[in-house]
Amino acid sequence: MDYALHTLIVANFFIPVVLGYNLLFGRGKVFHFGAVGTWAAVAYAITITLVSTGSGFLALGAGLAMAIVASAVLAWLSFRLEPDGFGVMTIAVHLVVLAVILNWNSLTRGALGIPGVPQLSFMKSIEVFALVTTMVSLLWIGLFAWIQRGAFGRKIDALAEHEWHAKSLGISRIRVHFWAFILLGISTVASVFFQPQYLRILHPNDFQFPSFVFLMMIIVAGKPGSLWGGVLSTFLLVFLREGLRFVPLAPSVLGPVRLILFGLILFIAVYVRRDTLFPKQRSI
Amino acid sequence: MTQLLVNALIAGSLAALIAGGLALVYGVLGVFNLALGQMVLIGGYCTWWLYQVVHLPLAVSIIGGLCISAVVSWFCFEVFINPFYKRHRFLPLVTTIALSMILDGLILLFFKETPKAILPGVKNTFEVLGAHISPVQIILVLTTLCVMAVLAYVLHSTAFGRKVRAVVQHDHAAMSLGIRAPLLHRFLFIMSGVFAGLGGIYLGIDQNLTPVFAFPITIKAYAAIIAGGKGNIWGAIICAYLIALVEQLAVGVQWFGLFYIPAGYQQTVALVFIIFFLLFRPHGLFASRSRSA
Repeated sequence: MDYALHTLIVANFFIPVVLGYNLLFGRGKVFHFGAVGTWAAVAYAITITLVSTGSGFLALGAGLAMAIVASAVLAWLSFRLEPDGFGVMTIAVHLVVLAVILNWNSLTRGALGIPGVPQLSFMKSIEVFALVTTMVSLLWIGLFAWIQRGAFGRKIDALAEHEWHAKSLGISRIRVHFWAFILLGISTVASVFFQPQYLRILHPNDFQFPSFVFLMMIIVAGKPGSLWGGVLSTFLLVFLREGLRFVPLAPSVLGPVRLILFGLILFIAVYVRRDTLFPKQRSI
Repeated sequence: MTQLLVNALIAGSLAALIAGGLALVYGVLGVFNLALGQMVLIGGYCTWWLYQVVHLPLAVSIIGGLCISAVVSWFCFEVFINPFYKRHRFLPLVTTIALSMILDGLILLFFKETPKAILPGVKNTFEVLGAHISPVQIILVLTTLCVMAVLAYVLHSTAFGRKVRAVVQHDHAAMSLGIRAPLLHRFLFIMSGVFAGLGGIYLGIDQNLTPVFAFPITIKAYAAIIAGGKGNIWGAIICAYLIALVEQLAVGVQWFGLFYIPAGYQQTVALVFIIFFLLFRPHGLFASRSRSA
């Protein structure tokens, strides 16, 4: 039972960020490969504030401030660069964030991570974690279903399909993409606010490049832009990832096997979706 | 200061080898290969295996390592690039992320995490103008310069080089002149894999091979390509040396006479380099003009 709840909680941690990233990358086709960099910066802002002040509200505020600033800067950068250049730069930004986390020992404790993260007073059992994170996930699914079905969803679709034509209809790329970045940032806060409290530790290994690959795999496998596809693939892939812990293999073998397996899943997912992942622009 | 320049020359030669091949591929195909670092390591690890485990002579092991790199690159092109890049040039960006994970897993499975040196214990150095350098490092730098010279000759003084440059400038125009562009695409991708493998052998001889090197190598190569002007092979090579110099100066110089930047941030310099260039010179230092009708 505890294992099922644990898997549910881990999947719930992913849901908001998957939905946010699905909107930006899956639906908007914005080559943002630094989502885990923002995730890491927000997680450290929340955890450091929580550990040093013990206040959940202050931690939430710090996380939101970090998310909004980071997202606004990334959005601004995306307007200045070509898509592939932006993709490479966001990977660079992710690695810079990791380098700062690993080297600023006095603040982040470097490679050791931050142990003993305090829990909010009402978050004391696995059942409560499961309930609260499920509520957050449901809230986020509802919010994104509303956003994607509304005018904003249609605008981001139009921009992904043909930016010039969308502009001629009065759709501002800067405004739409800026808010998509901000939504991803806020989703990141919803994803990581409870995670260090649940694990009781914040570790930099959780924000390495394979974490981003896992996020991208969820989007591609679940059909880019599809809300329910993203939700379903989150649960399936988290279940698979957590279930692999029970495979009777030595850790030195299990780690590489997991990398190969997830690499193959990503490749197969891209192969299956090769015509829809980055569709060709329509022409007259 | 001389030592910093020598270190930059050694590190820059490694980066130039890798970035040179990659720039050629980017210029022709316009695709990003994010599994480049893993292809570098495969060349190094296979050479290590042939030399240290199979006990073949060093020269044979190096040739064997390069042949395996070529075969792996060819396989990667046929499976992870070719079916995708004509549909959309951004698709290989995602497929090569998958490839990088698969290769990472295979490297960890077969070679483990422990560092591997192709020539352990060959670190005798001597002093030149106050800088310490080993004979092996001199050979590596000279070999790189020779490879670059051969590449320059092939690209600029042979019929084959003219075909390559024609395809780089305009794929379809080159095809209309009877140049078999798809065959050249394949050949150049394999050549970039061989250059990457050579870089891995360089790395395995000069330092140690560990799986964690893969991603920083990829990003550093892209930093050189972006800073050099995408598709400009000589710009990429010059910027590879430039980035290596900036990396060495960043952590080796006492800034304003007050502080040193911690060595842990050395790799970050290449990343900041990318960010800086993309922001202020998105077309790079030596951007080449593309022809259009």
